[in-house]
Amino acid sequence: MSQRVGIIGIGQSAFQARRNDASYPDLVREAVTLAMNDAKLEFDGIDAVVYSLSPDAMVGIGNAERLGIDAVGARNKRFLRINTGGATGLSSVAAAYYHIAAGACETVLTAGADKVGECGDSQSVLNKIWDPTYERQLPLGTISMLAMSAVRYMEKYGMTEEDMARVVVKNRWQASKNPNAHLRNETTLEEVANSRYICWPVKLFDCCPQSSGGGAMVLASERYIKERNLDAVWITGVGHCSETYYLGDRMGRMQLADHADAYALGQSFKRAYKMAGIAEPLHQVDVAEIYAPFSNTEFHSIEAAGLAPLGQSPAMVREGQFQLGNGIPVNPSGGTLCTNAIAVTAMIRVAEVALQVWGRAGGHQVKGAKRGIASGNGGDHQFFGTMVVEA
Amino acid sequence: MSYTVQPGVIGAAIMPCVNGEMQSLEELLYEVTRRALRAAGVTIEDIDGIVVGANDQYDGRAISVMMASGPVGGVDRDILSTPSAGEHAFVMGALRVASGQYRTQLVVAWSPIEASSLSEVQRLAADPYFHRRLPLDEMSAHAMQATALMATMPNLQAMAERVTEKNRKNGASAYPDLATGKSDAALKARWPLPPGAPPVTGAVALVLASEDFVRERSCPVAWIAGMGWATEPAFIGDRDLTKAPALEAAAQQAYAEAGVTDPLGAFDVAEVADATPYQELLAYEALGLSPRAQWEQHLADGTFGPQGKLPVNLSGGAISLNPVYCTGLIRIAEIALQVLGQAGSHQHGNASMGLAHAASGDAMQYNTVVVLRADTKGANP
Repeated sequence: MSQRVGIIGIGQSAFQARRNDASYPDLVREAVTLAMNDAKLEFDGIDAVVYSLSPDAMVGIGNAERLGIDAVGARNKRFLRINTGGATGLSSVAAAYYHIAAGACETVLTAGADKVGECGDSQSVLNKIWDPTYERQLPLGTISMLAMSAVRYMEKYGMTEEDMARVVVKNRWQASKNPNAHLRNETTLEEVANSRYICWPVKLFDCCPQSSGGGAMVLASERYIKERNLDAVWITGVGHCSETYYLGDRMGRMQLADHADAYALGQSFKRAYKMAGIAEPLHQVDVAEIYAPFSNTEFHSIEAAGLAPLGQSPAMVREGQFQLGNGIPVNPSGGTLCTNAIAVTAMIRVAEVALQVWGRAGGHQVKGAKRGIASGNGGDHQFFGTMVVEA
Repeated sequence: MSYTVQPGVIGAAIMPCVNGEMQSLEELLYEVTRRALRAAGVTIEDIDGIVVGANDQYDGRAISVMMASGPVGGVDRDILSTPSAGEHAFVMGALRVASGQYRTQLVVAWSPIEASSLSEVQRLAADPYFHRRLPLDEMSAHAMQATALMATMPNLQAMAERVTEKNRKNGASAYPDLATGKSDAALKARWPLPPGAPPVTGAVALVLASEDFVRERSCPVAWIAGMGWATEPAFIGDRDLTKAPALEAAAQQAYAEAGVTDPLGAFDVAEVADATPYQELLAYEALGLSPRAQWEQHLADGTFGPQGKLPVNLSGGAISLNPVYCTGLIRIAEIALQVLGQAGSHQHGNASMGLAHAASGDAMQYNTVVVLRADTKGANP
C-alpha cells in the first residue's frame, strides 16, 4: 500500500480582475511564496514541481509553464505541467499526490496562476476548444455550452431562473466573508433577475468573473510529515472521469450521458469516495467546494456529489440547504462563481477544503468540519476531477 | 527510494512518420492506440487510466486533450494531459501505476505538422517582453547551444558529422521505407547546424502495467528500473549552454533508483535526444557515458555505433525521423521495444538493460531519463 499524502502548505492570491502590478510569473511566485512560508520550507526541501496551467492561449504565451520555471524554483528539478482545462488545478494536485504515493518523492510543490481578466476575451479563446470542422463555427463558448445544460435541466427537473439566482445570492454572501474572493459584494434575487442576459437563461450575475491571481500547495509524504512533526491535513480520495468531446453526443436519442446532468463528475466522485471509504456522502461529508462557474451548474454538481437526489437540489437550496451554517455548506469560499482564475480555480477548491478541515478558513469557516470534498471541471464539461480531504 | 508498486512497459507502438493528409488526427490516435493495446495483448477495458502529451500550439486547438480523449479511449475513463512534453506523459503514467492506485496506464503522444509554421508556433513560447521579437525558435536555441560548445572545443564539427552519419545509417536500416536520410532543402538550418530531418506527422503509444497485472497475465515486460526528469531555468540567457545540468540531475535520479554506478558498462542499448548531433554529444557526457575529452576517441572506435559497446540511437533518432513533439516519447518507446525484444529490424542482440533520454524545449530545456530492465523469470524486478 502507498503511504498517505498530506497537505502542509497553501498559498493563494487575493483574486482581482486585473493585476497590473504583477507579470504572469510574478503571480505564480506570489502564491508559491505564500505556500512555502505556510509549509515553512525552502526550495531545497522540494523534490518536484507540478505546474498548473490550462490553455496557453489564455496567457498568450506558448508552453507558458516554461516562463514559470524560476517562479516555482524548479531549476534542475523534477518538473512537469498538467492541463485538463478547468479541472487542471485539481488534476495538478492529483499529479503531485501520485508523485508521493508512488514513492518517488517526499515533497512536491504544485503551483500556477492565470490572468483571465487580462486576456482580452476568454470566450473567444475558449471557442477554440471545439472541433474546427464540426462545432467551432457555432457561437459556442463555455457560457452558451452550459446555458444549454441549464435549459435541459429546467426541462427535466423544473429549475427556474429564480432557483439559479438563489445560488448566486448564497455564494456572493459566502464570498463576502472570504478576503481572497474576487466578487465580494453581496447581491439580491432582484439584482440577479435584473442583470442582463448573456445567453438565456444565464444572466450576467449567474456567471463567474474573469480573475487574475495564483495558487500553490505543498504536499508531503506521511513519513516526512511524521518525522518532522508537521501540521497537515490528508488527501484520502482522488478520482477522475471524462465525458464525450462532442456536445451532440450528450443530447438526443443516442446520448451517452445527459447534458443536463454531470454523469462523469458523478463517476469521478464515486471513485474518490470508494478510495476514501465514503459510502454515504450525506452523512460523511462536512463541507464541499464544488467547481461551478455558472449558478445552474452548482445544482447538477451537488447531485453528482451524492449530496442530493437527481433534480432535487433546487428545492433544497430553496429551503436554505447548502449554505454556511446549514447542513453541508457548498462553496463557503464563494466558489468558482465568485472567483475564476482558470489555471488554478480547481486547485483553490482543494485548498479551500483543506483550510476548512484544518480549521483555518477564517470568516467562512464551517464549524467542526473534518472531512471535505472538492471537484474540478474542464474542457467542454468533459474532464472531471474530485478529491476528499480529511483532518 | 523504491516504488510503492513496480511499474513496467508491456507494449508499445511507434508510428514515426505517417502521411497526415490521409488521416484525421483522431483516426491516427485511434490507430496508434489500437496498435499499442494489441502489442500489449490487452483491450481498452483493461486500461485504468490514460495520460497524453498534448500540445495546444502544435495541434492548433485550445486544450487539445479534449479532441484526443475519444480516440484514445478516454470517455468514461480517467485521462490527464502533460502539455510540457510528450515524455512527461510517460513519467505521469509510470507514477500513477507506481502509486498502486492503477494497474494499467495508456500513454500517448503525437505530432501533427499542419501548423502553417512550426517556427512561429515555437516563437510564441518566448517571453513576450524580452525575447518574443528575436527569431528564437527551437532550432535557433539549438544552434546557439552548438555554437557555444564549438567555442570551447576544436574539431567539434567533425565529431558532429560523425554522429549525424551514424544516426542516418541506423535510420536507413531501422526504417528503410520511411527514413530517407535526406534533409528538406526548404528547412533552413541555423548555422552551425546541419540540415536536419524534416518535421513529419507521427504518433506513439505505450501500455504500462503493475507487477501484479504483469504476473497475472504473464505479459512480456520491460521494467522501469529508474526514472528521472528535470528542467533547465526559464531564460536561455541564464544558462551555460555548453553544459546540461538538468540532464545530469535527471540521470542521477534515474541511476540512483536503478542502482547504476557505471553507465557505460551498465547498458546494452541507448536512445538519446538528437534534435542536433551536438545534443547527442552533450548527452553522452551528462548521462555519464563519455566525458567530452573522450568523444573523439569513442566516435573513432565506434563505441556508440551499431556494433559498439553501447549502440546509441539504433532507430536513427530524430536525425532520421523527426515527428517534432513526440520524438522524446519515441526514444522511450524504442528502448521499451528493444528490452521487450520487439524492435524488429534494428533489434539489438541482447538488450537486457536499456537507457532512454528524451529532451524538449529550447536547447534541451526539459530532460527525462528512463532505465528499462528486461524481465528475468522468477526474479524480482
